[in-house]
Amino acid sequence: MTRIACVLAPAPPAAPVAVLRDLLEVALAHSPRVEEGAAAHVFLDASGLAGLFGSECALAGRLVDAARARGHDVRVAIAGSRVSALYACRMHDGVTVIEPGDDAAHLAPAPVALLDAAPELSARLDHWGIRTLGELAALPPTGLFERLGADGLRLQRCARGEDLRPLRPWAPPPIFEESMELDDAVDTIGQLVELMTPLAARIADRLVRSGLSADHFEWVCRLADRTRHEGSAVPAVPMNDSAAVALLLRASLEARPPKRAVEGVVVRARPVRVPAVQAQLMEMSRPSPRLVTAALARIAALVGAQQIGVPVMRDSHRPDAVELVAYSGAEPRAAARGVPTASLALCRFRPRVPVRVTLVAGRPVELRSRRLVGRIVNSAGPWRVSGEWWAARPWLSDEWDVELSDHVICRLAHDGSTWWLDGIYD
Amino acid sequence: MLAAFPPGKLSEIVGPRSSGGSSLLLQLLACATHGGGHVALVDATDALDAASAIASGVALSRLLWVRCGGRLAPAVRAADLLVRCPGFAVVALDLGDVPITRDAASPSLGVRLQRAVEGTATILVLRVPHRLTGSAAAFVVSLHSVEARWAGTRATRLVGLVSEARVLRSRLGAASDASSIEWRL
Repeated sequence: MTRIACVLAPAPPAAPVAVLRDLLEVALAHSPRVEEGAAAHVFLDASGLAGLFGSECALAGRLVDAARARGHDVRVAIAGSRVSALYACRMHDGVTVIEPGDDAAHLAPAPVALLDAAPELSARLDHWGIRTLGELAALPPTGLFERLGADGLRLQRCARGEDLRPLRPWAPPPIFEESMELDDAVDTIGQLVELMTPLAARIADRLVRSGLSADHFEWVCRLADRTRHEGSAVPAVPMNDSAAVALLLRASLEARPPKRAVEGVVVRARPVRVPAVQAQLMEMSRPSPRLVTAALARIAALVGAQQIGVPVMRDSHRPDAVELVAYSGAEPRAAARGVPTASLALCRFRPRVPVRVTLVAGRPVELRSRRLVGRIVNSAGPWRVSGEWWAARPWLSDEWDVELSDHVICRLAHDGSTWWLDGIYD
Repeated sequence: MLAAFPPGKLSEIVGPRSSGGSSLLLQLLACATHGGGHVALVDATDALDAASAIASGVALSRLLWVRCGGRLAPAVRAADLLVRCPGFAVVALDLGDVPITRDAASPSLGVRLQRAVEGTATILVLRVPHRLTGSAAAFVVSLHSVEARWAGTRATRLVGLVSEARVLRSRLGAASDASSIEWRL
């Protein structure tokens, strides 16, 4: 059973866009399916909200209170269709709840003028003596179509409280944006972070009220020399927590500080809707995305955002072909579950350490480097690895596994000109 | 031995280079990811070899890798922050051979990490060459190399490493006798 609520600001608003935005945020805070009305009104799908807000009267009361908290006195009506709810809002002050199935009966005494019909149609109906929606609804459809065409049938359906189309869910705008112009330019990171924090809080607040999160943040500083300085931050998971957003922006700003004084700041967020996920009973707990994002933002400020992530092997035979991708904490589909094996691990040196190797009969017998010095007692190799010979920069390496006299086992590589210490087996 | 690492406590894997300590750490991470858990590795020296991790059985998609570029203080801070995020099965702090300053080696480091992990279901493991956290660690296992295994009479190929593991400290049970582990390459 479809139930639609309409929230209408009856007085002509001075700033219709701002009022409509507020009403949308009120509606989105109560239902995920919301439609933006043509005038200062919004519709929300009120079906199945009883578990959250109780009766429909209680829901309507909450909508009135939420709008009043933003400074708007609104009318709220809940009915079986959008047109019924809208007409009820136009007819009555305060809260109106039309019981299921009573839409046509409730609208019957309302004047035809409520329908926003074209003047010509209104005049013809008036000429026939049709004054109320009930009288229009009672006309035979065939005769109405013969005289007024499809427009007449559409008007009659509206008069009966029937929607011509289903609710069209509102989609979030592509970007949420907050900005600030400064009277006095700021030239320290600390001051800039202090300025960005309330912008981040405002964006996070808008996201929360819209039931959305953001998966991409960007900031733009207008510098004193009329140039722009930009940066962006991608959270591990979409988020709308103001503290975490502020931390993320701070880390991004500190990683890329502006070179000159800043006269204006813009912060943008790309909103996305994050569906709620029900945890599985037999599944191990995962880190909380909100907490992980906040922690990763702090860690990014310590080590750099590009140093954190999930290692992914590249499609290459090149040794150590690995890159980091953003950690989401989500369970990938068909994730590989390796079988734990007692496998000898290599601990790599990054970057590789150049070594001086002494060869006897083509085999290494001693190595010297800033990390490791020793006599080689066992060695195996060379194992040649090479690739990308078709590219401009092919790679080639002869690898050796060697054991030093103090039982340290390491991997050496020779690229044709230089010996490298790749890592130590541990 | 892997089941002996206690959740909600600080543990240490102690051993010099080529003792098998990193292999044991990766196997612990592999066990956690095999069970569906997410793990975090705070890598003070960026030493993780992803191919070795895969060979050990670690599901990389469930591994959060934090590279600290050879800096100790951010590594400790990162581990502290991660262990306070409920949901990680294992948080490992691999200090490798990063120079350990007196401040970092102070007894308060162990207490701080132990406090952070206390009451959680997370296993917090330090991989260090020498014991670092003193009595704050609830479980300490020490490894040392016994012998490298080579194929052929003239060492034509490295096939593995035999190391000896000994539980030095366990609040949940008595210290055990040494056991031998063979790591295959």
